[in-house]
Amino acid sequence: MTDESNFAEQILNDKNKTNVRCQFCNSLMLKAKEGTYAEQEIDVPLMVQKKDSKADALNTEALHHFWLVEDMMSFENIGFSHTVDGRKFLVCADCERGPVGYHELASKRCYLALKRVVHADA
Amino acid sequence: MAKTYDYLFKLLLIGDSGVGKTCILFRFSEDAFNTTFISTIGIDFKIRTIELDNKKIKLQIWDTAGQERFRTITTAYYRGAMGIMLVYDITQEKSFENIKNWIRNIEENAAADVEKMLLGNKCELNDKRQVSKERGEQLAIEYGIKFMETSAKASINVEEAFLTLASDIKAKTEKRMEANNPPKGGHQLKLTEIRTKDSWLSRCSLL
Repeated sequence: MTDESNFAEQILNDKNKTNVRCQFCNSLMLKAKEGTYAEQEIDVPLMVQKKDSKADALNTEALHHFWLVEDMMSFENIGFSHTVDGRKFLVCADCERGPVGYHELASKRCYLALKRVVHADA
Repeated sequence: MAKTYDYLFKLLLIGDSGVGKTCILFRFSEDAFNTTFISTIGIDFKIRTIELDNKKIKLQIWDTAGQERFRTITTAYYRGAMGIMLVYDITQEKSFENIKNWIRNIEENAAADVEKMLLGNKCELNDKRQVSKERGEQLAIEYGIKFMETSAKASINVEEAFLTLASDIKAKTEKRMEANNPPKGGHQLKLTEIRTKDSWLSRCSLL
């Protein structure tokens, strides 16, 4: 994961300065400059749910910092979950861990959470 | 913004339940860590990027997500598909016999020029084999399509199969483009080099 205190240095001219990768398996998700920095508050399910949690009591956290990707084909490698309430969640295409962000069906936009990925060219 | 890729191909995996389609595309929920939100709701499709002859190709790969159980794979699912992997299980005779039904379903619902390929999956289970490799080859010849035996579990030929299908779609697309716009100079594309950076397609968690 990328610590919030390091977010500012990942942004260059509103874009992601470096490649964006999976924090677990290093799979390349998004190449540098393909995402636009965007802020909004969205509740996203945690990557690891508590064992006793039920589907109706989902553990989520509010995320604020995203890479906005207008065209899903801009991703190098990414997985999309089935639709839940007009959204698909983004997962690593290789290890399938996530959600690392979400895709809004109505706007066709994708939002990749800075906190749930790593920023590294290699 | 300018496109950062040369081609976009939509691919589908078709075949009976249990032949290992999901394993070919998805790792899925066998891992201990993956008893999570994502394994509950499931994965719909993936976007993968490969390179063939210095062309950047985006693959959007879809699984049938169990629809095949009801034999109701609809026109909507086939819409825009440029390539289809027909998958059977070499240890299940029935899944091989059903390939003919799937081909009929494709003929009725998919675009006439969709590129097809036949995969005999689970070739690591040779001792339980019910369908010989020759029968697979013969069926493929009958339909004029390519054939490979694969093992998602042992990572045999899965990546090669996707690269082959993508390469055939690319060749077909370029042929069509050339027919529409004959090249002015002597700039010809050669389909000789097949490569990819990672062996992403051959991963499977059911090991």
